[in-house]
Amino acid sequence: MKLLKLLIILVGGVLVAFNTKAPASKWVIYKACSLKVNGSTNVNKFDCVINSYYKPDTLCFIQNSQQEPVRMTGAMKLDINSFDCHNPMMTADLRKTLKAKQFPKLIIKFISLSKYPQLKGQQITGLVQIELAGVSKKFQVDYQLIPSGANALQLKGLKEIKFSDFNIEPPRKIGGMIKTNDELDIEFNLHIKIINDI
Amino acid sequence: MKKVLLSGLGAGFILFLMSYFGLMIGIRYFPELFVEYNNPLFNSDGSRDLLFFMHPFIMSFALSWFWARFKKLFRGAIFLRGLEFGFVYAIVALLPVMWITFSSLDITFLMISSWFLYGFFQSVIAGLLFAKINP
Repeated sequence: MKLLKLLIILVGGVLVAFNTKAPASKWVIYKACSLKVNGSTNVNKFDCVINSYYKPDTLCFIQNSQQEPVRMTGAMKLDINSFDCHNPMMTADLRKTLKAKQFPKLIIKFISLSKYPQLKGQQITGLVQIELAGVSKKFQVDYQLIPSGANALQLKGLKEIKFSDFNIEPPRKIGGMIKTNDELDIEFNLHIKIINDI
Repeated sequence: MKKVLLSGLGAGFILFLMSYFGLMIGIRYFPELFVEYNNPLFNSDGSRDLLFFMHPFIMSFALSWFWARFKKLFRGAIFLRGLEFGFVYAIVALLPVMWITFSSLDITFLMISSWFLYGFFQSVIAGLLFAKINP
């Protein structure tokens, strides 16, 4: 009988533990977001932007405990063909390099944040998964949180990535005399508004 | 024939050095002139690098044969013969090719002009060498 009671308590405990919902908050992307890529060659520097990404989407932040990172759901799905490098040749070259015909989307999937975002200036880090040219990779990103109105934040993510992280050969022209450097700085800006707080 | 091949090889080697170091210096000191090469028209995966660096030899062998065939038409001092040879090549071969290239590809006038001048300069150098070693 004692054993049965113990078993009931154990099973009940497990069920309660699994049924406990972690506190979650929902934020919505409420206005146009952007992505900027800065790179360089041995003859110039370039920056390419996607300025008007707007897909109303919900981001969820789930926090199990203060010690653990905040889990995050949501993603930016950007068209490679929307990149503008302010020079038609450079734009076409970047699209070709990023294999836009084969892999037309650049996807930034949000995985976690080191802290729950506060409605004040803050610098935090987070984990994202970037999918580019058919390759997915996780990166630690530095975020700047900038308050932008009532219950709204600008989430600015900065990260240096490499073409080679995605098995992309940096372009080289005229016998390799003109070379694109492997490093790229990416900066994405999300404008989010809180729907319901934790 | 031996003379054609040898002078072609010699000119090819000199033109190769000149084009390699000329490009290096050009890119180092006038990088803005090379920005337009970031264009998908140009091969970017490195698969044709060897072919690119072979171009001075291909050009030199062709010019060496042309020189051997028509050298009697170029008279005067070595400098004049080399200059006229380069000029003939530029008018007969370069100009029409550059014309059709510019009219059909999305490249700038500055770029096509630099190719024309580069080809003219190369052919003058080759002409001077041929006038010296295969008069």
